[in-house]
Amino acid sequence: MTTIEMGKLLRAAATGCVVGCRVSQIDVPALGGMVRIPLDAEASQQVYGLIYDIHIDDDGLVRQLVTAEGVPQEVILDNRINRNVPLEISVVFIGHRQGERIFHSLPPRPPLTLDALYPCSPEELRCFSNAGNLGYLRHLLRLEEVPLGELVAAHLQQAAAVQQQAGNPTWWSKPCVN
Amino acid sequence: MPVNYQDLQRQVRDKGRQAPAYQTRLNQAVQQAEQILDSQSHRLDELRHRLERARQANPALRCAIPLDDALNATFPQPHLPPPRVLLAADGSQINPSRHDPLPFGVINVGAIRILPGTAQAPAEIIESQLLCFDELYPPEGALTEEIVALRRDLNERKTLAKLAQAESGTVVALTDGPLELFRDPSERSLFEMLLEDYRAALQELVELNVAAAGYVDKPASDLVVRLLELTLLPGDALSQPHQARPLRGVVDVELFRSRLASGERSAVFAIQSPSARHFPAMLALHFFYLNVNLRGKPYLARVEFPAWVAKNPDLLDLLHATLLMQCCQMGNRPYPYALHRAHEVALVSREERQQLSNMLALELHRQGVRVGETSHKQVHKDQLGKRTRYVK
Repeated sequence: MTTIEMGKLLRAAATGCVVGCRVSQIDVPALGGMVRIPLDAEASQQVYGLIYDIHIDDDGLVRQLVTAEGVPQEVILDNRINRNVPLEISVVFIGHRQGERIFHSLPPRPPLTLDALYPCSPEELRCFSNAGNLGYLRHLLRLEEVPLGELVAAHLQQAAAVQQQAGNPTWWSKPCVN
Repeated sequence: MPVNYQDLQRQVRDKGRQAPAYQTRLNQAVQQAEQILDSQSHRLDELRHRLERARQANPALRCAIPLDDALNATFPQPHLPPPRVLLAADGSQINPSRHDPLPFGVINVGAIRILPGTAQAPAEIIESQLLCFDELYPPEGALTEEIVALRRDLNERKTLAKLAQAESGTVVALTDGPLELFRDPSERSLFEMLLEDYRAALQELVELNVAAAGYVDKPASDLVVRLLELTLLPGDALSQPHQARPLRGVVDVELFRSRLASGERSAVFAIQSPSARHFPAMLALHFFYLNVNLRGKPYLARVEFPAWVAKNPDLLDLLHATLLMQCCQMGNRPYPYALHRAHEVALVSREERQQLSNMLALELHRQGVRVGETSHKQVHKDQLGKRTRYVK
């Protein structure tokens, strides 16, 4: 289980949430990446989601700095590390876990403000995608104004890689066979 | 209610009609001032003599004092490595209001420490001071808005001195606005006491050999113009307590705008003013004008610094070069990046004021202390513009 926090929850609804993180943490999330949000301290209940959008907002100072020639490294770092211009990660919920059981339905309640978001480990991704018959992909179909094809492709690529490593190369064909 | 647009429209048209004549008069005055600047540029002893006579007759005289450089001298951008450390501080405050349920004040100082050229993220420093109860009514006098502002200025310098103490190597320390204190509150004894602390903080920066300066953006001062005006007064007029202002309306920036090329600074001047006595010896205030725009049309700032910087050519060049480096980081609107960041760090928002007020009230309730109520006047003002609607 990965314990590197990516960011904290800004706002949420029953179907998804938006998480804020510092720009310096950008190397952790990736489009289509699977993430988890523990609902309790013991992490016995977790919400699973997929990153479907990453926003980097500007502000007056950033707009001014881009007009300068050769912005020094310390100024770039200042804006990425110190300034309150968060990177916003949009997450669609695709399931949840209660104890050892994994569900591909929406969580009973959304996570709360400032709950922490973590990337899922390859093992978590493998377990989640192997449970059931990829039914969780239906949650992605609700998304609007999102490059859905890219998102599904990115997720399937990541999931297939961990399944292959675990000796399950035909994982993707499971829903067709069953 | 909105302003009376009908009334204002008529007034705007009147002002518009007056504008060409005003501009012509101002242009003539600028031209005259430029001629005097050139003609008097090297007659420094004579100027100083006139200034001394005028000052004796009028102790409230406020103008520039020429030093050794010609009045119209210019100095190019020094190409120096950046200072090891750049510090900048700015402050903001919450003024106590009797209309609040519990009057309180906050002085917030934000500072930033940059290690230029090191590719390290700068450090932000915030120091907040809460003032309530007896602190709002010091025995030396009431805590007026003027005094809170003075204490904010004092805290800015104290923070810079404290930060500079921990540094080694060359340090440049910037604050926004002039170093000179213009406030003249009625609470003289409290003002004098705080002024003493202010001087002590500046003195600490002297001892640490820090290039400390106040940066004045878009300056409207006319210190050099007032000096030039003295040459237009007949001898006996110099001895009058209220001297005429033949170049009124002309500001120094008009004099130097066409003279300072990109990155150039003017000569250094000292300041003659009633408050100058507050800053003796190495603390005596000096300034130069600086064209901070390295591309395009000139944009001048006034930079104020104490005598120890003025008398040290290395520190003066370091200050000059550092300010240009800082300004060019802000692209087509040059302003020192570090000062802007210090301002961002220091700023106290209305929401924060409200939150702090709630925190205080909650804590007092917890302690069993009765908290007052917001004044009716304030409640009505807060309601202005807030409309509610009937919703099914």
